[in-house]
Amino acid sequence: MSHVTCIELIAFLDSYVDDELDAETRNGFDLHLLVCPSCRAYLASYRETIELVRGAAEREEELAHDAPAELIEAVKKVRR
Amino acid sequence: MLADDGSLIERLRTGDDFAFEELVEHHAAPLLAVTRRILRDEEEARDAVQETFVAAFRSIGDFNSESRVSTWLHRIAVNCALMKLRVRARREKDVDALLPSFEADGHQQQSSVSWPETAEDILQREQACALVRQCIDQLPEPYRIVLVLRDIEQLPADVVAEKLNITRDNLKVKLHRARQALRTLLDPHMRGVM
Repeated sequence: MSHVTCIELIAFLDSYVDDELDAETRNGFDLHLLVCPSCRAYLASYRETIELVRGAAEREEELAHDAPAELIEAVKKVRR
Repeated sequence: MLADDGSLIERLRTGDDFAFEELVEHHAAPLLAVTRRILRDEEEARDAVQETFVAAFRSIGDFNSESRVSTWLHRIAVNCALMKLRVRARREKDVDALLPSFEADGHQQQSSVSWPETAEDILQREQACALVRQCIDQLPEPYRIVLVLRDIEQLPADVVAEKLNITRDNLKVKLHRARQALRTLLDPHMRGVM
């Protein structure tokens, strides 16, 4: 793929991030990223978005040590 | 299967009430986190956890001894939460307004700007998780649920596509659009570092 534009790169950014592109297409994307600071910024923030989603959920789970006592009791009652 | 899981399952199969209580006390909190993420409603999330344990106990005979108990319960909890989600009548909106726009020559209409800090640094801030959660919750339902199941719960694409009754290609498109929309919602906060 030659002369990749921003719209093409962003449309297939998930495949680029997940390394699903063939070598020629990937090279075309890499060349575009070399000359386009806006797409470099977009790619970096797209990756950070995925990291934020995963990281925030992990932090939430670390903080949620205990389930509410009334929920534990309600579940146990179902068995009694 | 872990050694502890093995003895717990055996005790559950023999009807040991203490084993059931142990199961509930150990797994209720992480399962509640999962159902909260999917349902965004505290009462429904708690109901889904209850239903998870009831379903788990009823199907204890089907438990595959190659699996971990936590993985087995996670799968049941996701199913219980999705069942609740399906019965909600939600108006489907699209995310077009949150996607980047382009000039006729294919260039971005508005240049993207780098975020000054990494996700790892940002998550050290006390309010960061709540902000990310708020932005995820602003996504239209079909996009939010794809993001939650793939990027947070990290379920395989085939499994998510089947659960949501969509094709793998459609799932891939929805996930990409959901991530882009979320990036747009996070952008003003991340540029100013909250």
